[in-house]
Amino acid sequence: MTNGWVDIKNTDMMLIMGGNPAENHPCGFKWAIEAKRNRNAKMIVVDPRFTRTASVADKFAQIRAGTDIAFLGGFIRYAIEKERIAKEYVVNYTNAGFIVSNDFKLPEDEGVFSGFDEKAHTYDRASWNYAGAPSAAPGKPGAPPALPPLPEKAEFDPTLQNPHCVFQLLKQHYSRYTPEMVEKVTGIPRAKYLELAELFTSVRDKGDIKKVATIIYAVGWTHHSFGTQIIRTAAMLQLLLGNVGRAGGGVNALRGHSNIQGATDMAGIFDNLPGYLKVPTPADGNFEGWMKRITPKPSKPGNWDSFNYYGNTPKFAVSMLKTFYGDAATKQTDWAYDYLPKVDRNYSWVQLWDNMYNGIVKGIFAFGMNGVAIGPDTQKNIDALKKADWLVVGEIYPDETSEFWKSPGITAEDQKKIQTTVYRLPCAGFAEKDGTFTNSARWLQWKNAALPVPPSCKLDQDIVAQIFLKVRDLYKKEGGKFPDPILKLTWSYTNPAAPSLAEVLKEINGKTLVDAEDPATKVQLKAGNQLPGFAWLKDDGTTTGGNWIYCGSYTEAGNLTARRDASDPSGMGVHQNWAWSWPANRRVLYNRASCDLDGKPWDASRRQIWWSEATQKWVGNDVPDFKADSKPADHMGPFIMNAEGVGRLFAPLGAFADGPFPTFYEPVESPVDNLIHPKQTNNPIAKKFKSAADKYGSPKDGFDIVCTTYRLTEHYHYWTKNNPMNVQLVPEPFVEISEEMARERGIQGGDRVKVESARGFYIAKAMVTKRIKPMQINGKTTYQIGIPIHWGYRGIAEDEGKTAKTPANMLSPSVIDPNAYTPEYKGFLVKVTKV
Amino acid sequence: MSHADEILPNGRVVRYDFGERLTHWTAALSYIYLLLTGLAFWSPWCFWIAAVLGGGQTSRTLHPWIGLIFSVSVIKMFSRWSHQMHNTEADKEWWRSLKHYIQNEDEKMPPAGRYNAGQKALFWSFFYGAIVLLLTGLVLWFPEEIPWSFRWLRYVAVFLHPVAALATIANFLIHIYMSVFAERGAIDSMVQGDVTLHFAKRYHPEWYKEIVGGSSAPRK
Amino acid sequence: MSQATLRVQKISGHAGSIPGEDTQRQYTVAKLVDTTTCIGCKACEVACVEWNDMPFSPTTFDNTYQTMPETRWNYWNLILFNEHEKEDGSLMWLMRKNQCMHCAEPGCLAACPSDGAIIQYTNGIVDFQQDKCIGCGYCISGCPFNIPKFNKETKRVYKCTLCTDRVSEGLEPACIKACPTGCLHFGSKEDMLVLANQRAKQLKDNYNFPNAGVYDPQGVGGTGVIYVLHDATQPELYGGLPSNPQIPLMVKLWKGPLKWFGNLAMVGGLIGLAVHYLRFGPKERVETPHEGVQP
Repeated sequence: MTNGWVDIKNTDMMLIMGGNPAENHPCGFKWAIEAKRNRNAKMIVVDPRFTRTASVADKFAQIRAGTDIAFLGGFIRYAIEKERIAKEYVVNYTNAGFIVSNDFKLPEDEGVFSGFDEKAHTYDRASWNYAGAPSAAPGKPGAPPALPPLPEKAEFDPTLQNPHCVFQLLKQHYSRYTPEMVEKVTGIPRAKYLELAELFTSVRDKGDIKKVATIIYAVGWTHHSFGTQIIRTAAMLQLLLGNVGRAGGGVNALRGHSNIQGATDMAGIFDNLPGYLKVPTPADGNFEGWMKRITPKPSKPGNWDSFNYYGNTPKFAVSMLKTFYGDAATKQTDWAYDYLPKVDRNYSWVQLWDNMYNGIVKGIFAFGMNGVAIGPDTQKNIDALKKADWLVVGEIYPDETSEFWKSPGITAEDQKKIQTTVYRLPCAGFAEKDGTFTNSARWLQWKNAALPVPPSCKLDQDIVAQIFLKVRDLYKKEGGKFPDPILKLTWSYTNPAAPSLAEVLKEINGKTLVDAEDPATKVQLKAGNQLPGFAWLKDDGTTTGGNWIYCGSYTEAGNLTARRDASDPSGMGVHQNWAWSWPANRRVLYNRASCDLDGKPWDASRRQIWWSEATQKWVGNDVPDFKADSKPADHMGPFIMNAEGVGRLFAPLGAFADGPFPTFYEPVESPVDNLIHPKQTNNPIAKKFKSAADKYGSPKDGFDIVCTTYRLTEHYHYWTKNNPMNVQLVPEPFVEISEEMARERGIQGGDRVKVESARGFYIAKAMVTKRIKPMQINGKTTYQIGIPIHWGYRGIAEDEGKTAKTPANMLSPSVIDPNAYTPEYKGFLVKVTKV
Repeated sequence: MSHADEILPNGRVVRYDFGERLTHWTAALSYIYLLLTGLAFWSPWCFWIAAVLGGGQTSRTLHPWIGLIFSVSVIKMFSRWSHQMHNTEADKEWWRSLKHYIQNEDEKMPPAGRYNAGQKALFWSFFYGAIVLLLTGLVLWFPEEIPWSFRWLRYVAVFLHPVAALATIANFLIHIYMSVFAERGAIDSMVQGDVTLHFAKRYHPEWYKEIVGGSSAPRK
Repeated sequence: MSQATLRVQKISGHAGSIPGEDTQRQYTVAKLVDTTTCIGCKACEVACVEWNDMPFSPTTFDNTYQTMPETRWNYWNLILFNEHEKEDGSLMWLMRKNQCMHCAEPGCLAACPSDGAIIQYTNGIVDFQQDKCIGCGYCISGCPFNIPKFNKETKRVYKCTLCTDRVSEGLEPACIKACPTGCLHFGSKEDMLVLANQRAKQLKDNYNFPNAGVYDPQGVGGTGVIYVLHDATQPELYGGLPSNPQIPLMVKLWKGPLKWFGNLAMVGGLIGLAVHYLRFGPKERVETPHEGVQP
């Protein structure tokens, strides 16, 4: 979230799309209700089904799964056409006025941007740049061609009239997204769509700048072969409306699990290191080469200023390496750069299972997740595990993954052929562990263990530590090809075999290794002191810090994540002394953008930060996300993490794999061709897999029903089917279908139906409901169905033989978004028959 | 038809055989239990009766079962006596003379048969009362089994059950009064099974005629 | 579950004065359920089951998100889900937390014959005392909301206690505590009515619900659970909430006129018979009925 849960209460307008927070985030959804109750805020819900969230919305529209970019693109078009954009904000806080290189071409009818290589299905992104950039430095032989840098001095047109400025290109790009087009693509009737567009953009009616709208989404936007671009469309819309950085505004991702934010912050993704530092690649060569690639240089109009905070990347990286490797990381050893793994190719989730399926990956540690059930394409994952040598599962229940060899359809004969050795490690449950949860609002909240660990179980960190210690012993004893990264890894916990999580958090925060003083504030630290914040991180090896964005969470003042002071003097829901929020305990990101050019809040009744003439500093209710002493007159951009200092309506160069502007593509399995770009149906660089298990269906083969998957409030992923309470609340899997479709096929509520995709089938009872309606897609009646995912072949009902045993992800396809590598769990094609 | 064989050697007349008396007393005892527990449920002022009879729970549990016993005995009585309970022309006359009956001016009453019109009415109202009590009682026995959409059944039952009970209570009081207090000797018929010829002649002259009409020979 | 800090106001099946009546004044408490902000998350259902330590009972799929068709003896709090298509074709998914309404004039209490099995505290809570319940089920017939439920094993009837055990200790009921959206409120009836009416007004003024209103049915003297409804003119849409609930007419007739009539009739009958005996005596004063009659 750019903002936070509590901050939603400050909004005037909510667009909830690609998420069902009432269902999946009921506690946080309180704040949406607060906004309605206390501010008369309006709520728009757009979803493939009429959801629990829709039940409390002011306006609802049913959308065809996977057409969100068409929907949002139409909003952008509408806002521009009706002049409902925040002009001053757009000119000064976004790159709307930046002039784009003449080589850049919009997709238009072709459906691909300039630089597309049809054979390799890749882009040469050199033309996706601002005008005036130097050409690329020659790449190393064998390595992919290096991208040119951004121009140091960007050409800029404050009137936004230059036909090749970002704003005009944007306007042209989205001119295709007319309400008529949106109706044909999304299935939302034109009149309804205009009603929603009118309502959402009404916050900028007649040049009003005080009101604020927020956009709230969840995995309904990420689970697509163009998921990242959906979110970007939303971000652009918010930038155009001047809603980013403001209380009650922003683009707010609701994370799917209690600590999934923490997982990504701590490098839960293969191409990230902690704090979202990009991993080194073999082409980087050394520390300097790596830093050169990932440390941006400012790129801005001449008379503007850009903080370019990622210019500090080397400080973050050196401190991280010092934390990892201690004394082994020195300037002389190139900060132990060689110890870091270099990422030579894609190691994302679906790729890993594909590699296992193809016999490349031989074993897997599965902790805190149920790989088989998670999918996509459960059967492929089961078949992949059959080929693995070993599987280690750390879980609290026997699950589909650890019992893949008992999955439906496997015979006793088949079982004999499975040679995979399965190790099951009984782990502690969440209530038996302490540590932090990082929530969607970026708050690290310390929790205490509520129950002792059962005698037969172990804490996850103890298991990992003990495996590490054993491996280290083996390296010590037997040497090996490259033992140093293991032998020299810092492991200085009081109990090495059972590290306390408080110690780990302390280590992540980092400390100074020498006496230090901040020249501005004269604050002094003694050697060994915990660092108060990431501004103290150094690139000379005198500081440690495992994750720069978490620096400040555990200081000399103690564990700030354990704070529970609910006071909120400003009434803005800032709660500065409740837990600790990254970065720097800041609750709303980019909050400089909540003020006008002079540093005065756009809305005086919702003051976050402001420029204090008296102290010549940025001050306020929140921690300023800005250079504290940068005068408004210096015109430093509020989006300090971008090299430009401004928000990107146009994302240049390598920022995204599939285009600097989001554009509409159909899901990989879709009932119609792309009406907006007739020559390019799908995302041209979304990855489809090619193993024998990877089949894709089309209406030609009878797969003509759009299927989406989702979760229920009564269940938590694949765990709670083991808990009688949850099973009581929703006892069985079901498939939601419209009354019209049920009538047509003679299906009654409670009848068993078989849902088939090109990959597998799913059997469950039909829930016939008014909450899904047939849609008119390009003039043709199209049905949509929904499947909650929570069941499989292990659980109370499953074990008692009371229900079908097919996991929902038997249906979903192995195809991934090119930026985040997320599979397309939503908007694939199926057929439905009565069993 | 002569009933002279019903005259016993001691000059008494058989009115109820053992089976009839057993049935009657089964009905009587079960009715008294039902009455008492029913009264306990009827009014807080009588709830103590339930306590005396083993507590509210016990009373609630036994009441329907005893009610079944009562119902069975009533049905038995029905099969036994109903053919004797048809109204006759004389009964209509009897009703018209009710005032005299109340004032003990029986000489002004039309002669009654084995049962006078009042007794017949008692019989039928007990019978129908019992049927209503049985049907409504079954609903009240298992109120939780009545679906919400059929809740009117419960409403009918909670009202008709006491209405029917009250009707039987009225009968019951008269019955006791008549048999124990008003008609001396009447109770003998249900205890020993026989009455004196005098009693028969006095209260049921037509029946008396039937008995003595044929033969005066004592019953063997 | 009698609580020391609660004072009794009404007792079922009770003769005579009420012990403790008027010894302590307490304001009437109420739950406010704002159906317009209920998201049907069932946190209240779970909180109820867990706080009251209820055993789990199996459910089956019934073409709905609703946990079970109606409340059970061991499931006192159930959100009812109803899909309603408005005249303009738009859909409403109505969710209403259903539980004991804690009527000011409780039909269950009126119908109950067992002394002290149902009591009403001065704060308005209507509570079943299972140790005194005789299992007759009259409360089931007395309730216009289909709330009391019979347990066949214990032969006793159960329902929401409004968490008397918590309320008597100054806490809110478990369902209120668990509600994530703030759709549930708890406090004095007076305060809840103010809050409810404010919300209803807001819905009328700002959210295009011209018929929004508060459900506090006077047919049962008002309730200890009040609802804010999008359309107060059609409470039936919310899972059959009766628009004018009353203690059923038959129960009222039974407990009112019939009782009077019956008592009078019984007592009158006894007196009448006694008077008859005194006035007319037995039909025949024959000392020796065995003689003097010859065929």
